[in-house]
Amino acid sequence: MLFTTILYFLFLACALPIYYLLPVKYRNYFLIIISALFYMYVKVEYIFIIIFIILTNYLIGIQIEKSNSKKNRIRYLNLSLLINIGILVFFKYWDFLILNLFGFLDIFHVKNPFPILEIALPLGISYYIFQTIGYIIDIYRGSQKPEKNIFRFSLFMLFFPKLLVGPIERASRFLPQLTKKIYFDKENIIEGGRRIAWGLFKKLVVADRISIYQTVVISNPGQQGGLTILFATLLYTFQVYADFSGYTDIAIGTARLFGFNLMENFKRPLLAKNLSDFWRRWHISLSSWVNDYIFNPIALNCRDWGNWGVSYALLISFIVIGIWHGATWNYVLFGFIQALALIFETLTKKARKKISKKIPSFIYNNVSILFTFLYVSFSLIIFRTATFGKAMGIIDGIFSSPGKLFYDKPSTLLFMLLGCGIMIVYDIQKEYKILRFSLFSNNYWIVQHLSYALLLIYILLAGVFDGGQFIYFAF
Amino acid sequence: MAGINTIKERKPQPFVVKLFLFLIILYILDFTIGSFLKYLYFKQDSGLLYRTTYSIDSTKADMLIFGSSTANHNYYPYTFEKRLHLSCYNTGRDGEIIFYNYAILKGVLNRYSPKIAILDFTRDEFMKDQSSYDRLSSLLPYYDKDPEIRSIIQLKSPYEKYKLFSKIYPYNSLIFTIAAGNANFNKNRENDQEGYVPLAKIWNRKIITDTSIEKYQLDSTKIKIFKSFIRNCVDSNIRLYIIMSPQFMKYKFEDPSILIGQEIAKKFNIPFFNFSSDTEFLNDASLFTDIGHLNDRGAKIYTNRVIDKIIQNQQNESTLFKNSISFVK
Repeated sequence: MLFTTILYFLFLACALPIYYLLPVKYRNYFLIIISALFYMYVKVEYIFIIIFIILTNYLIGIQIEKSNSKKNRIRYLNLSLLINIGILVFFKYWDFLILNLFGFLDIFHVKNPFPILEIALPLGISYYIFQTIGYIIDIYRGSQKPEKNIFRFSLFMLFFPKLLVGPIERASRFLPQLTKKIYFDKENIIEGGRRIAWGLFKKLVVADRISIYQTVVISNPGQQGGLTILFATLLYTFQVYADFSGYTDIAIGTARLFGFNLMENFKRPLLAKNLSDFWRRWHISLSSWVNDYIFNPIALNCRDWGNWGVSYALLISFIVIGIWHGATWNYVLFGFIQALALIFETLTKKARKKISKKIPSFIYNNVSILFTFLYVSFSLIIFRTATFGKAMGIIDGIFSSPGKLFYDKPSTLLFMLLGCGIMIVYDIQKEYKILRFSLFSNNYWIVQHLSYALLLIYILLAGVFDGGQFIYFAF
Repeated sequence: MAGINTIKERKPQPFVVKLFLFLIILYILDFTIGSFLKYLYFKQDSGLLYRTTYSIDSTKADMLIFGSSTANHNYYPYTFEKRLHLSCYNTGRDGEIIFYNYAILKGVLNRYSPKIAILDFTRDEFMKDQSSYDRLSSLLPYYDKDPEIRSIIQLKSPYEKYKLFSKIYPYNSLIFTIAAGNANFNKNRENDQEGYVPLAKIWNRKIITDTSIEKYQLDSTKIKIFKSFIRNCVDSNIRLYIIMSPQFMKYKFEDPSILIGQEIAKKFNIPFFNFSSDTEFLNDASLFTDIGHLNDRGAKIYTNRVIDKIIQNQQNESTLFKNSISFVK
């Protein structure tokens, strides 16, 4: 069930009143049921996978705490990792591994004895598997107590706003919320509603509008001029940001309607001054997860290597981030070029600091933002194309094909630029607080109401309501 | 669930009042802006949207051309008028398919019956494809005004009639186009000739052959609407011709939609002319703008070929429609 469909809002309109009309002690049970129904709406069979993951990790979590010896704790940890990563590999990476491994072994005339499965990826699997792994490692490290209540643990896993596209929640943040009594609070409804409205704007007005243009240009780069391909490439960065962060806003807003706080996943990433800064602002729940469970342990183990240790940890971490997005080489390459830039930043940190002192901060900061944006946009060419050859074709097209900017009609450009403009101005205002006057957080409630009403009106005027899957569903 | 902290419950009364006020503001804005857009939409006197309104509300042409972009850019009404001595209007619209054509026909039949209709048929006409339904949004502004096409608009989704509670929704994504349609510069920007919009560009690439096997899921609703289109024409004594325009592409395999289209046409005794592999066009890239559309020169040549075929067909079947043949020179 897509978050931007009428069906989803009908689902919410039914679920929310029932939730608040139920006695408090039954509300979490109700959330488990509707979350399971929500997941089963996509495909009924998927629910068995997640139930299996819930049961095994629930038991393993308790066993890790009960174990007296470190050896046993490691055994249970490894068992959990084997189950979780095994399921993820089976559903997401099996065909990729088999095809590449035996493609290589074919040189030595070793034939592939395994079948190619072509299984449909259960939606959200990458998100809830990573969430579960984080939970088990936290218990192993002793920083998290295992949840003894199976229903609470089930809701931690199943809670529908975060089930399909995250954020990848941490047990330490989410489980305590499940122990609180949640009453109807108008602030939750107002804030949740506002967040959903803003998410709808980003998704329907910005991302889906750009997507129409992208489909035409990037699917036929050979027929477009360099300026058009460059324009589409830069717009794609806005599209991915608006798409994913818009969807996250709807998820966070929905959770808030039910009285829960999900973690922030984006913090104005297009205003990042360097790539390290960008990854602290972009898909925060994934990057912080990788930081805690992959980068830090590797960097700690390799601390004697100095900068080489950090570089090695960065490389592994970002290849994991890359391949987390999908089982193709372009995602691996995407992770690799992110790591290269981050290694460069690590090695040149002192030199860049010296340069920054010699240049006026206004110029230095804005040039840094521009360079970071351009680098991210460039790397997203690899992210969005299926093969390395196609990515090269697009890059080649930018520099070698003359031609004026393509647009079918002026309104196409106006809608895209206006949407991006509103989104980026909103981010700039939130980041730098340039204006003292604020429409959406105005002290006068009538101004606030009018502002949000106008936002909804603009969504009705300029939103794209038909078709279009969320880009991140593929992950 | 045990181990619970308590949070103080708040009174919801002011919230309900504020929510009500918010909904009132939203309704007023939606109604006012939507009504204003409606006024501007139907006040347009040029452009793409105006042509749809004109097709449904105003045209009284003896001959109508229906179809998608291939219809709009390939059939030159003035040549039909000159050679057949009939008034002609091209209702074709870019990106639209049989649903749109049927809606226009129903709108027209509500007012009068034209003498001749041409339905331009395309490859993959009956392919199951959600975007065909999404494109019905072009008819949303007519939902209130033209009740006869409501059932077609409702094919878009089961929720469409609820979405239409909003007065703005029918004009979604149209604000700039409506503004342009009311501006004078628009008339010079895209000059149509009785609905026909000429294309100027000349295609300069070699012809290619599509060797892929056409295998796709057929859409039974599209087939049903196609049959309804024919039946409505037959019932209203409109002489219908189903025609496939030339394409600058060769196909190795037959398209299933064409076979079905031909079969249905035969059943209703409707002529089906297929120019898609006509060598006069396949051998001359300079008649095309792209692989699917003729340019202005190509369209004028093609229109003459279509007229020749119609005349020839009428001569062959003169006994069948002697009442309507009198217009042929």
